[in-house]
Amino acid sequence: MNPSPLPPAIRPPARRLWLWGILAVPLLLLVVLAVGVASCFRLSSDARALRNGLIKSSGVEWRQQIALNAGNLTLGIVRAGLSCARLDPEARAVLQAVRGAEVGVYWLPSGAKSPDRAAMFAAADTTMTARGWDRVVGVMDGRNLVTVYMPGKNVSTHRMKCCVMVFNGSEMVLVSAQANLEPLLEYALNQPALRAKAHLLTQR
Amino acid sequence: MIHYSLAVAVIAAGINLNALADSPPGQVDFGKIAPARGGEFVEIQVKSNLLSLAAQSVEKQQPDVAKLLRSVQLVHVNVIGLTDENRAEMEKRVRQIRHDLDAQGWEQNVTVQQKDGQDIGVYTKTRNGEALAGLVITVFDPKKEAVLINIVGDIRPEQIAALGEKLDIKPLKEVGAALKDAAPKK
Repeated sequence: MNPSPLPPAIRPPARRLWLWGILAVPLLLLVVLAVGVASCFRLSSDARALRNGLIKSSGVEWRQQIALNAGNLTLGIVRAGLSCARLDPEARAVLQAVRGAEVGVYWLPSGAKSPDRAAMFAAADTTMTARGWDRVVGVMDGRNLVTVYMPGKNVSTHRMKCCVMVFNGSEMVLVSAQANLEPLLEYALNQPALRAKAHLLTQR
Repeated sequence: MIHYSLAVAVIAAGINLNALADSPPGQVDFGKIAPARGGEFVEIQVKSNLLSLAAQSVEKQQPDVAKLLRSVQLVHVNVIGLTDENRAEMEKRVRQIRHDLDAQGWEQNVTVQQKDGQDIGVYTKTRNGEALAGLVITVFDPKKEAVLINIVGDIRPEQIAALGEKLDIKPLKEVGAALKDAAPKK
């Protein structure tokens, strides 16, 4: 008995493939755009970890006012957009230097008890040290708490990262930025006032 | 089980000794200082990576400043505001640090005791009897604050104000100025 012949393979016509492609490309673009827009309102993992550590250790409930994140792509578009605009040399130097920036603002609702700043300080240190950051500055006085962190390794003028937290008793601001300092340094070192000051310093 | 614990302890001790051996000879650990409730607290710690970055940025325009920055490996400044809660403890801590420095062969270069009770001590440690390995300054002002400064590297006490100016560290500038005032006039 002869085996029955296999049914012929059905290939989608080329036109159908084109149709799928035409449908998929805008859909993909839409997804990428949605992810891009969503990432503008989400802090990076280091900043998120710092925020979570601070909030948890403070022992009080916080409200988020804003969380914005502008990466290299967003800032690149801004740079390109402003390349023809007339800007102060200072502003242009800053624009060229910044490669990424994010900010988060959180506040205490009225009537909330004062958070434990010493615990927040310690928690911030623990969190950031575990992620390879060093605390460069830590200031705590009656109401305020300020901490500045920088990566423990791989710091150069081309790639400088910094994470700052400021709490003034009612509002907490987290700022993290990445920059190429060279355009900024070049601008600063070409200022006559700064040159004169530096000259005075070396003469001491 | 006991052997296992002993082995772990020996390994841990070895790791700790290595960690100590890794720190440069001019570095001093002031211990964990907790800020007092309601008191001021400032800690600045600038490590070699940032210092070399600062040096790199001024290399062309200000080679002397770059040289000064390159000679330093660490700048550690602690300012602890004194309150009734921590005054006695901090006085004891400062005294203990000075005692430890004496015991570890640090040389006491300057001691200033002012009428208002402010007490400044400057200690240096040399490497092979030539270059300076580190510098420690302790300031105890019973009415205001205690300041602990450790600078690791080849830097002289009279260069502290310039370093403070360059790095824009206010306590360094102030201590540098106080040392300048206390120095005998030529």
